[in-house]
Amino acid sequence: MSDLDDFKATYFDECSELLTELEEQFAAIEAGDPSSQRINAAFRAIHSIKGGAGAFGFADLVAFSHAYESLLDKVREGQLALSSDVIALCIHANDIVADFVNAARGAASLPSGHGAAEKARFDALFRGAAVAEGDDGEPIEDFDIDFTPIRVDLGKDEPAADADEQADDADTFASPPLAQDGVWQIRFWPHSELYARANDPQLLFRELATLGELTVFPVFDVIPPLLEFEPFGVYCAWDMTLVSSRVTDASIREVFEFVDGDCDLEVVQVRAAITPVQAEELEGWPIEADDDFDLMPEPPALELVAEVVADVPMPSFAALADEVGASPVVPRPDTAAEPAEQPASLAAVEALPADAEGDRRNGVQSIRVDLDKVDRVVNMVGELVITQSMLTQQMDDVLRARYQELVRGLEVLAQTTRDLQDSVMAIRAQPVKSVFSRMPRLARELAQKTGKKIRLEMAGENTEIDKTVIEQLADPLMHMIRNSADHGIEMPEKRVSAGKPETGTIRLSAEQAGGNILIAVEDDGAGINREKVLKVARSRGIVAPDQPLSDEQIDQLIFAPGFSTADAVSDISGRGVGMDVVLSNIRKIGGSVHVRSWSGRGSRLTLRLPLTLAVLDVMLVKVAGHPYVIPLSSIVETQQRARSNFERVPSGGNVLRVRGEYLQVIDLADRFDLPTEVEDRHRFVVICEADGATKVALVVDEIIGQQQVVIKSLEENFESIEGIAGGTILGDGNVALIVDVPGLRTNGLRRNAA
Amino acid sequence: MEAFGFRDDMLDGTAPVIENSLQLIAFSIGEQTYGVEITTVREIRAWNGATPLPNTRDYVRGVINLRGTIVPIFDLRARFGDGPTSPTKNHVVVVMSAGSKWVGMLVDAVSDILTVSKDDIHAVPEGNSIDMELLSGIVTHDGKMVGLIDLQAVVSGSKAEG
Repeated sequence: MSDLDDFKATYFDECSELLTELEEQFAAIEAGDPSSQRINAAFRAIHSIKGGAGAFGFADLVAFSHAYESLLDKVREGQLALSSDVIALCIHANDIVADFVNAARGAASLPSGHGAAEKARFDALFRGAAVAEGDDGEPIEDFDIDFTPIRVDLGKDEPAADADEQADDADTFASPPLAQDGVWQIRFWPHSELYARANDPQLLFRELATLGELTVFPVFDVIPPLLEFEPFGVYCAWDMTLVSSRVTDASIREVFEFVDGDCDLEVVQVRAAITPVQAEELEGWPIEADDDFDLMPEPPALELVAEVVADVPMPSFAALADEVGASPVVPRPDTAAEPAEQPASLAAVEALPADAEGDRRNGVQSIRVDLDKVDRVVNMVGELVITQSMLTQQMDDVLRARYQELVRGLEVLAQTTRDLQDSVMAIRAQPVKSVFSRMPRLARELAQKTGKKIRLEMAGENTEIDKTVIEQLADPLMHMIRNSADHGIEMPEKRVSAGKPETGTIRLSAEQAGGNILIAVEDDGAGINREKVLKVARSRGIVAPDQPLSDEQIDQLIFAPGFSTADAVSDISGRGVGMDVVLSNIRKIGGSVHVRSWSGRGSRLTLRLPLTLAVLDVMLVKVAGHPYVIPLSSIVETQQRARSNFERVPSGGNVLRVRGEYLQVIDLADRFDLPTEVEDRHRFVVICEADGATKVALVVDEIIGQQQVVIKSLEENFESIEGIAGGTILGDGNVALIVDVPGLRTNGLRRNAA
Repeated sequence: MEAFGFRDDMLDGTAPVIENSLQLIAFSIGEQTYGVEITTVREIRAWNGATPLPNTRDYVRGVINLRGTIVPIFDLRARFGDGPTSPTKNHVVVVMSAGSKWVGMLVDAVSDILTVSKDDIHAVPEGNSIDMELLSGIVTHDGKMVGLIDLQAVVSGSKAEG
């Protein structure tokens, strides 16, 4: 992998973060918080995407994000109202930006003209905003305020700087179509750092050229004698002339934003742009302007500017104009000092605190680390925990009495190990926000498609959970929200007639409960239609025709594979591949799903997830003297065998009757072919959930207790084994096998069938 | 748990490696001596029990914890069809690498390190299919026959069943 590929990879990483940021900001804006911080944050995000794209030459992405950015710029300067249309367009545009990013990554190819319609709308809105400000008086008033220059004194040639500002001001009211374009003189002198950071002046020139007519002259007069020549020195600067009707000092400087500090930059306006009206008034003035424009304008040219300014009936400008008229200063491009930072508008100044805040936030030191490296640390800490508990177990009373220092040391070790484990787990933990932030958008789309009114509420977005768990969470959450929107929330009319508010609410929340994370999706819809569910389940043979089911059991049926009550398959749901995906995904990561429903009032789906995947909460049991562990998340209850109601079935097997339910009984000693000497009445029954509503009863010799274990693969050195999900190493150094409950059950079914 | 890195302390005493020769770790199962190439051996440790694996081949004794990884133990006697070993503390597990995997072989005792010439390796005489499958060759050392174990064949087990 070359350096460039590395940079690209980093850029794409950043892009996905920035896209999330965009999404988040717009979600908040849409939810009714159109504060300038949010707009600014969104602007910064798209700007960074554009900047990187420019550096890597992703032209399509640059073009689109540029249009997007320009629009946001108008919005943040208050020249364009943030109507719901604009917000919707922006939210949609986020997708397109993501498409372009994916295309740039090579992950997808896009049809040519992708996003063209949106870009056109951006441009139209942008132009609309531009026209609006030129058309009536109000925006001009705004403009006047906006462009009150804030000077940053660099202690250079002050008069020249003054003149620049005024020239700058003069330019600002000249945005409508012009008779004469403004002319800017730019001196760009890159430092060696600029090249060291892999910037390419050519890209900057190209971007400048998009602003107007650009002429570039290299300046070689800085080349030293050969003896003083440094191999990595920079001995070439460029003088540029930019002729354009609409650029401002700020927009030129913006091009150089990414090389700020790595170059010397002088931007001087040598001639303001002039409107046709003004041009008429100015007839007779001695300007040999248009064609052979002189880089060193004569004083009259500037007076002309002053005159124009004076003509505009606005006090502030008039005052300025007087000043200019009184002391005409020749801006000499070669010596003109330009303030390094000259905020273009008040809006920008207002934005400064937010920017500063952003910088501070960026100042939070962080590094990107390969997940593999973190995993290695997690695994090693797991080993450490095991070794530590092994050491502690070795301490008997004799040792304790003899080696008190050792005991103390072990206690400290235990404490430190626990802290270390927590800290390492915290590295992998991420706020669920990264998944939650995708949901508002889904809810919107669902609302549009179904014609229902849906509001999504979210709570606990900052709850942290293991990264791998988060990755597994997106699909289940999507299915759950789809399910709520499609089956839960009713049509507006129906809701109104039922005396509910027209807009249905889906509430997505996350909270930590002990060693688990609870994620709930609630809706205030109709609840599960148990009659219909049962009917469908019976007709599809999921439930035997005469089997009586409790309400809770009926609710659980929605997790059965292939189950759907939808009368027609829509593109939202109804294919029956939704909720069983939820269940299997959640189970895969050691979680469980619970559903509760209240007829006519709504339903709630709760996911219970482990904080981390690296450590599994298990129940340690013994079968024929060998240790086995059963994931705690699948265990429903345990009971003594002597008190259990076992019944024989014709196949010779046993079934267990628990509260009117008959469960398949799996004796682990039989299934694993282990000779057990424990009497039946002393053995235990562990009731586990295998698949959704299906429970099985495992018979074991002894229940030792609960503990946390680190999962080890059997396949690493051997092969996978039926009924065993993996291994783990206990405190005494022995290996215990993890029981694969769903695997046992299917295995059992096959045996019975054979 | 007597695990000893034998490479340094055991190799020192042996004769210098002659070109075209092979160094073997020799171990015994009953009266019979077998050998594996020394470079495949990772560790030799005393038998300390193993957690049995259900639903697997009968010559797989179970798994042990080797510094945090789970390593399967093959009962070589059972693999050769002589029934399961009744292991004691004196039995030995030879941990070897078979490809990318680490496996342990339960044997009666490790006897020696042998240096043999590659020219002295004989093909396995046709006849018993188990010998054919599991041995890659036979060498004679001090008038005794040493069977060279084909580790992949022992571990894969596919040939034995097929």
